[in-house]
Amino acid sequence: MEGLFFNVNYGYVEGVVRGYKSGLLSSNQYVNLTQCDNLEDLKLQLASTDYGNFLAQHSGPLSTSVIQDNLSKKLYQQFQYLKSNSSGRLTQFLDFISYGYMIDNVSLMITGTLHERDRSEILSKCHPLGWFDTLPTLSIATDIESLYSTVLIDTPLAPFFKNCLTVDDLDDLNIEIIRNRLYKNYLEAFVEFVEKEFGNPDDEIMTRLLSFEADKRVINIALNSLNNPDLSAEDKLSLFPSYGKLYPTYHNELSQVDDFEQLKQIVENVGEYKDIFNESSDSGSGAKNLEDWFYLLEMQYCKNAFTQQFTLSTVWAWLRSKEQEIRNVTWIAECIAQNQKNRIENYISVY
Amino acid sequence: MSSANEAMAKRSLLAAIADEDSVTGLLLAGVGQVSNEVGKETNFLTVIPGKTTVEQVEEAFDTFTSGRDDIAILLINQHIADLIRFKVDSYTNAFPAILEIPSKDHPYDPEKDSILKKVRRLFGE
Amino acid sequence: MSGAGNREQVFPTRMTLGLMKGKLKGAQQGHSLLKRKSEALTKRFRDITQRIDDAKRKMGRVMQTAAFSLAEVQYATGDNIAYQVQESVQKARFQVKAKQENVSGVYLPTFESHINEEINDFKFTGLGRGGQQVQKAKLVYTRAVETLVELASLQTAFIILDEVIKVTNRRVNAIEHVIIPRTENTISYINSELDELDREEFYRLKKVQEKKQEAQAAAELEENLKKQELENDPVKREEQIQKEVQKLAAGSEDDDLLKENEDDVIF
Repeated sequence: MEGLFFNVNYGYVEGVVRGYKSGLLSSNQYVNLTQCDNLEDLKLQLASTDYGNFLAQHSGPLSTSVIQDNLSKKLYQQFQYLKSNSSGRLTQFLDFISYGYMIDNVSLMITGTLHERDRSEILSKCHPLGWFDTLPTLSIATDIESLYSTVLIDTPLAPFFKNCLTVDDLDDLNIEIIRNRLYKNYLEAFVEFVEKEFGNPDDEIMTRLLSFEADKRVINIALNSLNNPDLSAEDKLSLFPSYGKLYPTYHNELSQVDDFEQLKQIVENVGEYKDIFNESSDSGSGAKNLEDWFYLLEMQYCKNAFTQQFTLSTVWAWLRSKEQEIRNVTWIAECIAQNQKNRIENYISVY
Repeated sequence: MSSANEAMAKRSLLAAIADEDSVTGLLLAGVGQVSNEVGKETNFLTVIPGKTTVEQVEEAFDTFTSGRDDIAILLINQHIADLIRFKVDSYTNAFPAILEIPSKDHPYDPEKDSILKKVRRLFGE
Repeated sequence: MSGAGNREQVFPTRMTLGLMKGKLKGAQQGHSLLKRKSEALTKRFRDITQRIDDAKRKMGRVMQTAAFSLAEVQYATGDNIAYQVQESVQKARFQVKAKQENVSGVYLPTFESHINEEINDFKFTGLGRGGQQVQKAKLVYTRAVETLVELASLQTAFIILDEVIKVTNRRVNAIEHVIIPRTENTISYINSELDELDREEFYRLKKVQEKKQEAQAAAELEENLKKQELENDPVKREEQIQKEVQKLAAGSEDDDLLKENEDDVIF
């Protein structure tokens, strides 16, 4: 049934997204990219892809950061275009997607304010996808308290803030903990939104993607905070999003592990994550590491998301794929620029 | 010699004038020191092309080499050293030691290094 | 004689000659000592230069690896890692300690890496994602900075040695080309002056003797004349003889003294 009316509201955007999707680099194109000898070659190769002459305005020597910036610009344009053509649930959905980036931006602003940095400098570092009109006003706040109230009043992130953080937290807690707490709340709210608003097949796909996102964070936090005495089990638990395949069974255990083997055993209980550590444990150069595995899994999920029609989850899937693509190209560019060709195959291509 | 010893014992920090990537890496290694003391706020300067002026680089160079007494080694990107080459070349003190390091985008060029230049001059090459 | 004017302003006496000879000996000894020191330092210096050259090249590679590990971090964490890192910095974990090493009396400083494991400003960096890469990059960069510190020690040693060798060589050259020739010049000057004085003295004495002989001859002539006169006048002669006898008795000592003097002069 929903297929009948889907196109009325979202047909155009979905079409556009699918168009974008077919513009993603294929494995053949990646192979071509890896054959390049220098960044100029790479630019030439990219010109024959969907990116076209994205580096046309750039003059002067190429560097990987320039390439990355320009690739990202393309993505932001496309996302902006989708956003301006969206309506109803899709707008909300896109908003939710950008909240994730807003969290990064706001935590950036908080750090900046705490250290009294130049505000224009920080603003230029903010992620464009997480940009909102009132972001610059955050930097006007000079002390923690006014910053806190500004965040609550002026940002769309207020719901994530108000339940988990107090004024004092901003001052005392490490910014990374704040960020991760916000992210936890954000993910939980996102899931709630998806369950409430989305019907089949949207919610099915999105739930899968989001639970993966949640698990990824949980595993990462657990792994990265091993041997970190500053983070107690309760603290860790408070950072884990209450969602995902690991929730609630393993969260308690995960928050208490203190060595890699234990962590591995717990995570392996979940079928889908069984292989994660098997390959990553021998983290010699060239071997896939944890992050690579997550990216690979995510890409596979995203690829699968495209197999469904009449779904908004394609937007998410496309955005993630595009981000991965930018990472891939940057990686390849980096390998070329630094003459590390033996690692160049480390990109992740699923299309 | 004892006074020189004391002066040396005080010098325990590394300082850096480098581009963003190099600074990030060096900071990851743990060389960074931030304090509230006037004139000793940070021991690193991030040079952003187009934003950081040569004057700023010079100023930082002067601060790190003569202004502060707790810097033992100053690490500077070679391409940034090129901006203030006359200063680097005319610097002859042993403390703090100045070390030109390569950056990601600018591979190391032994031809430009002021120390290696001295080496070559000495051996008449 | 090269640079006859280049000598010390001294009175050419035998004592100064002795002093100068001592000085020359000291200078020669100092010269050979300094020369040996300079050689030892130069040997060390060349060694260090070689090592600097190697280390600089090694640094190129090490830094490249390090930069690459940072690229991995960026790949895993996305943007802004640089900013996060910069803002997390509090206290230096990586410090250096300066030590001294004695090479032929020159104190060469060496830096030693000193890592305070208690300080870790990046405990939470990359907590959500990429923490593994951050830790790895941290290790790689720590090693890279260790190499840099090593290189900095070499370089400082290089600069100091360079300076010391220059000073030593300057001293060696000064002794070799200024002090020794000047002292030699002074010695030969004193010698020549002394010879000159000797010759003058000899000549002077010769002259004195000559004058004395003249005077003696004149005196003898007068005596003879008087004798003849006396012979001509017996009364006077008698008196004269009497006088002569008295005179001889009294003046024999005088005569001896004169003779001794003459002996002395001749030999």
